[in-house]
Amino acid sequence: MNRSMRLLQQAGDSLMSNRLRSFLMMLGLIIGIASLTAVICIGQGTRARIMEMVAKQGWDLIMIRAGSAKQVFAPTTDRTIASLMEADAQAIEAGLGNIRYVSPVQNQRGWEVIYGDQSVKTRIFGVGPTWHHIRRRPVERGEFLNQSDVVNMTRVAVLGFRTAKMLFGPADPIGQTIRIGSEAFQVKGVFVEAGIAPGGDDWDDRIVIPITTSSRRLFGRLYLEQIVVQVRDARKLPQTAEQIRKLLRGRHQIRAGAEDDFFVREPEDVKEAALVTSSTLTALLIAISGISMLVGGVVIMNLMLISVSQRVHEIGLRLTVGARRRDILRQFLFEALFVALVGGLLGAAGGVGVASLLAGAGVAVSKITWIPFVISIAACSLVAVVFGLYPARKASRLDPVMALREKRM
Amino acid sequence: MIEIENITKKYTKGAIVTEVLKGISFRVEHGEFVAIMGPSGSGKTTLMNILGGLDKPTGGAYRLDGVDMVRAGEDELSRIRNRKIGFVFQQFYLLDRADAMKNVMLPLIYADGNGGGAGRAEKVLAAVGLAARKHHSPAELSGGEQQRVAIARALVTDPVILLADEPTGNLDIRNGLEVLAIFQRLHREGRTLAMITHDRAVAEHARRLIVLKDGRVADDQPVHQPRDAETELRLMDQAASGAEPG
Repeated sequence: MNRSMRLLQQAGDSLMSNRLRSFLMMLGLIIGIASLTAVICIGQGTRARIMEMVAKQGWDLIMIRAGSAKQVFAPTTDRTIASLMEADAQAIEAGLGNIRYVSPVQNQRGWEVIYGDQSVKTRIFGVGPTWHHIRRRPVERGEFLNQSDVVNMTRVAVLGFRTAKMLFGPADPIGQTIRIGSEAFQVKGVFVEAGIAPGGDDWDDRIVIPITTSSRRLFGRLYLEQIVVQVRDARKLPQTAEQIRKLLRGRHQIRAGAEDDFFVREPEDVKEAALVTSSTLTALLIAISGISMLVGGVVIMNLMLISVSQRVHEIGLRLTVGARRRDILRQFLFEALFVALVGGLLGAAGGVGVASLLAGAGVAVSKITWIPFVISIAACSLVAVVFGLYPARKASRLDPVMALREKRM
Repeated sequence: MIEIENITKKYTKGAIVTEVLKGISFRVEHGEFVAIMGPSGSGKTTLMNILGGLDKPTGGAYRLDGVDMVRAGEDELSRIRNRKIGFVFQQFYLLDRADAMKNVMLPLIYADGNGGGAGRAEKVLAAVGLAARKHHSPAELSGGEQQRVAIARALVTDPVILLADEPTGNLDIRNGLEVLAIFQRLHREGRTLAMITHDRAVAEHARRLIVLKDGRVADDQPVHQPRDAETELRLMDQAASGAEPG
């Protein structure tokens, strides 16, 4: 055992021999770290939940639907509002910043699709070549549509997971020819199974074809149901949505004061996320934990100063029998560090407990990570050194002769 | 062993300069048992602190076991106090919350080198007759026993000299004699001891007596008929049993 280890042991012995004092030294840090940890756990939990929602729905997605806000929510199944055109989509892509992808979207329900002796009724979507990125619909087998499919009005189709199952069973659909209405399409890909979306849309029961093919060969109309846009920077999404609105009003020659003939929809989750992250409650709790860390540090310093004056004889004796001044300094710093680290870890554990309790009661979402433990170790070490240094220096600078001569308290 | 030459010590407080030691010289050879005696204010405590490497003289030279103690730095003095000097104090200065063993082992914390500490501590505790009480805390020990623990602590690093400052000052006669008996036995075993006292009866247990007066050596003579602590203890026992009926 080397000298540092022996000093560490002395520090431990000293703390164990005065447990009440040691506990009081820890108390401020326990409270501070506990509240900090609870904040972190709940913050992490909330963030994780938002990311989850975001991953499902697309937080960087702007949807522009044809028709005014009133019409969009009208209970019509296939609306026939000729306000959005492919050129609008191109204008958005070409004319605005912060845009990653734009895709026009047409759709119609109730198309009969036939392969061999199998037939299903499904919904046909006409889209651009980046639609699967925008809506986060990866292709499981084969490929998605590409630019030349759109340019050449190719008769190719990407099938929803269940549509493919119903038509082909276990057989591989890629490269097979299906019939949609009177047109023959080659199957180019199959989407990954999506399940039922929260909005009730069945993503697995549909067929996606190039927008040009849908408008010019199948549906026989040029107007769109919607345009979907993925932005580059989701934080600037509201501004981008407003720019789109202005652009389209200009293109559609809508007079000032008149209603839009389209509806720009932003994801609600982004607003919610912004709300949570800027929450004043979080700031308040962090401030409280900062203050209690500070108070904890002052308590440590005070109790250590008292301890130093109560232990003058001990310090004098240690110096007399061969302790160097830095040995005394180290022993007292070790005591402060010991107390702070134990307090910090107890606090972190307590904070995790509080967060879990709140999560269990349904008040908050909590996620346990290593972050609060790392922060508590770092913060408590800092507090120990900052507030322990002065008493430790004071102890180490005692004159052994004077210290031993001091009257006992 | 100890060579001091013309040691002076002055304390300055504002414009007032107090000269506590006014030029002291003597040598202590290996194996000597010296008592340093003087009334309070004679400078004996200051001299003791200088001998122990806890304080430095204003002037003069001091060599301990070949080391220049005036020039030595703070770390070197710490090492010398740890390795070469064993301290015994009037107030014992034991750690309340540690048992006898832990108290004895205290200097070993600051000794470089590993292991053997517990065995060494047990040996010195046995040497002062406290082998059976090694796990007792100071509160569970009598004053005499506490001072014996302190002596064991002073011996645990096997120092070249034992410095004792009024070692019997807080003890009754019997316990004082027991401490002195241990010192005399250590002397017979070849150890070097220097003991400060104001009490002539205590000082006469040493073999040489240095008398300080007003910061100077007033007298430095061998003790012609040293007292023997063990004989005195036996006489006390006989007197006690003789007082009993029968």
